[in-house]
Amino acid sequence: MRSRGLGSFAVGSLIAGAILWSLLTTEVELSRLLSAGPRIADFLGRMVPPDPTVMNEIMKGSAETLRIAILGSLGAVILSVPLGILASETMVSPALFRPVRTLLALIRAVPLILVAMLMVGAVGLGPLPGIISVAIHATGMLAKFYAEAIDNVSRAPIAALESAGAGPMARLRHSIWPQMAPVVARDTIFRFELNLRESLILGIVGAGGIGFYIQTYVRSFQYDKAASVTLAVIVMVITIETINVALRRRFA
Amino acid sequence: MTSAIQIDDLSYTHPGAELRALEHVSLAVPSGERIALLGPSGAGKTTLLTLLDGRLRGWRGRASVLGAPLNPDHPPARAQRPDTGFVFQEFALVERSSVLRNVLNGRLGRMSLVRAVLWRPTSRDLSLARAALADCGIADLVERRVDSLSGGQRQRVAIARCLAQEPRLILADEPVSNLDPARASETLTLVTGAARARGATVMFSSHQPDLARRFADRFVGMRDGRIVFDEAVDDLSEAATAELYRETVIPPGSGLRAVS
Repeated sequence: MRSRGLGSFAVGSLIAGAILWSLLTTEVELSRLLSAGPRIADFLGRMVPPDPTVMNEIMKGSAETLRIAILGSLGAVILSVPLGILASETMVSPALFRPVRTLLALIRAVPLILVAMLMVGAVGLGPLPGIISVAIHATGMLAKFYAEAIDNVSRAPIAALESAGAGPMARLRHSIWPQMAPVVARDTIFRFELNLRESLILGIVGAGGIGFYIQTYVRSFQYDKAASVTLAVIVMVITIETINVALRRRFA
Repeated sequence: MTSAIQIDDLSYTHPGAELRALEHVSLAVPSGERIALLGPSGAGKTTLLTLLDGRLRGWRGRASVLGAPLNPDHPPARAQRPDTGFVFQEFALVERSSVLRNVLNGRLGRMSLVRAVLWRPTSRDLSLARAALADCGIADLVERRVDSLSGGQRQRVAIARCLAQEPRLILADEPVSNLDPARASETLTLVTGAARARGATVMFSSHQPDLARRFADRFVGMRDGRIVFDEAVDDLSEAATAELYRETVIPPGSGLRAVS
């Protein structure tokens, strides 16, 4: 009891210390916040009405973002199948799956935008660094999901097929695969949706897609055009989300 | 009469366990007989059935099933496996697949590798699967997905899968443990009746001697990995079977099982 009391005191002090440190060392000038009201109103005012003349740029940018998400997801699936097997507790020994899982956790810890900045440096501007970044970044999560799908396969039906005399290939095909396939499909669709959302901002660092136009219009104070692009992004996200929800329901 | 099961001095310890699951077990079962394997939980019934199904490695002793010896180091030859059918206690069905597919899974051992992997069952496979479904009274469920079925229906699918396999020996692990008395009786009628019609030997484990009495020719009682009785059903009194389930005294805190 006593050590627990001490523990909560330590945690409390740590949190209080962190908040105080942040407040005292960041220049929080409340006066700036007070004068922000009219400026936000002005900013919003300049966004209406959205400028519809940028339709071409919107279509071009959205198509590129969609292509980045599709090809990036494809790359992630290709990387995640072998890595998922190597990260599975039931397929390989701890000496192998532990380091592979650590590697996947490290990949997950790096934000997509950071990977993209590195890739732009490595392969230059355009959608290619975007595709590579999405593929790498998404693998951190997707390979983990695949490993869990493998590990959650129930053993009993496999034993039943073994008992009936089915060979390893037939067991894989008729007992393991029917259990895994819907889970893998659901996880992949889920990750594709995340990839699409995350790749919207890739253009900001020059890795292709619609983010480039948002960046350009905001920097050049063309808020009415930025508003049109933002609306297009919202429509695109909602559309893909609706399709994905319907697809995921099919694999219930 | 040929023998369906011939085992001699079998012993087995589960990996990491201290107590033996099977201890010097010997048994001979002639072809066509119906055996009820009785005994409290942990007596070694499932272990013995799994071993006879060729799914256990590392045991000692000698065992042969349907005239073919089992090897403690290797699984049985594929051609030999379908002859022994197994009804799993928890059914062991592929939940997302249809009833027909699950029953046809019982035919996999008798299909060529190409047919099995490409899923091209022959018309004979299909007719055997349909016959098994009809025998189990679930012909109307063929297209249903297993995860939409009730417990009793699932059990019938599991039995149909076993029958579709055309087994000459049927091993059933607690086939009626989760059923109400009426259904339990129905299920044992189904299993033993189907076995009789096919000339197959049956061995089922059970916790209910009074029920098992009506469906078995012979009782084999197990306790702590040993066979404690092995007699024709008519020669065994109800008191003797009840004695088998007498509670074991476990001294508190000892972690050991007392010798009763």
